[in-house]
Amino acid sequence: MANTETSLKEAASIEGAIGAALVDYTSGMALGTIGGGKELDLNVAAAGNTDVVRAKVRAMEMLGLGEEIEDILITLGRQYHLIRLLRTQGSNGLFMYLALDKERANLAMARHQLKKIASELQI
Amino acid sequence: MTAVATPVSPMLVRLAAEKATGALLRDHGTLYLVDGRVVHAESPAAPGVDVLLTTGGRLPREGWDEAVDRAGAHRAVGRFLVDSGRLHDGELEICHLGAVFDAAFFALSPTSGPTRFRYGVGHWFGTVRPVSAEAVERETVRRRELLDAVWPYASVDSAPVVPRPAAPGQTVGARQRALLAAADGERTPAELARLLGRPAFHTLLDVRRLAAAGLVETPQEPEPEPGPVPPPQPLLAAPQVADPDIALLRRLRDALEAHL
Repeated sequence: MANTETSLKEAASIEGAIGAALVDYTSGMALGTIGGGKELDLNVAAAGNTDVVRAKVRAMEMLGLGEEIEDILITLGRQYHLIRLLRTQGSNGLFMYLALDKERANLAMARHQLKKIASELQI
Repeated sequence: MTAVATPVSPMLVRLAAEKATGALLRDHGTLYLVDGRVVHAESPAAPGVDVLLTTGGRLPREGWDEAVDRAGAHRAVGRFLVDSGRLHDGELEICHLGAVFDAAFFALSPTSGPTRFRYGVGHWFGTVRPVSAEAVERETVRRRELLDAVWPYASVDSAPVVPRPAAPGQTVGARQRALLAAADGERTPAELARLLGRPAFHTLLDVRRLAAAGLVETPQEPEPEPGPVPPPQPLLAAPQVADPDIALLRRLRDALEAHL
């Protein structure tokens, strides 16, 4: 069982990572961030992507598929944004957010690694 | 991100700068600092870590009580919960951080009351993951703005939550459904948060979202106070001065100013 800091460090060490955040999607708060720098304000990204996750969770509930979201991929011209939902016992939904440089990242590998990091963090 | 333009609490900014250790007491809660960083927060408006952990069934109440009994005296309750295998490291951090930001939001709410700082006072929960005072201030401001962006009527925050019938085809998510089911027309958002074992801010946000969707009543804002009521005439009226001596008052003022 990892703590939030080691999980974020592992996420940041994924090939091509620009930054990562652990986000509470009920409130939109980033519980922790790493990287990002000038090109990507992770606190803003955390709050903004909360709406993406909430909308998708709601859409899934309305569809009634009985399925849960594992991850969401957003593809930009030069970046991938990967959102991985955590299964937690508490009622507050959490997700890991990872921004990747498209040139340097291996998407399939990054997805796999993020899945592993998230599963070690979740309960 | 830049520093908060108008600090939520100038005293907190100053204490952070001087790397103070102790407890910052405000009207609606207390912030605990170690070396200028926030390590814990409590507010009567927000459920504590114990409620968040035990209500959802993550931790049996006895498990919590035992941790407080055995580790409270040396301020290491959080550590004990992990070392005794009751909680995972990340789980404790996430839950504790959530509780700290939740309580801090209420503790830092605008108040006219006094703010005091007691140097050296610590909290029995112990340090889990300190956060900068700046991060706490920034998050508190963000939360205020978020509430008002969702539904700018603060009257729903403290009033009993009264559900309204949904429009045909209108649906809500599982979280909000549970909240509506617990709203009996008397419980306030703070009471619902405690009952459901959720952070109080999250509950406020859900209530504002539900109010914006028309699924919860928005009580009328209290009428603005009518202009100041003229004081009742005293029974023994002060002697009426028909012609105050303006010239004398001016000379008096000038004389006083000359002494400044």
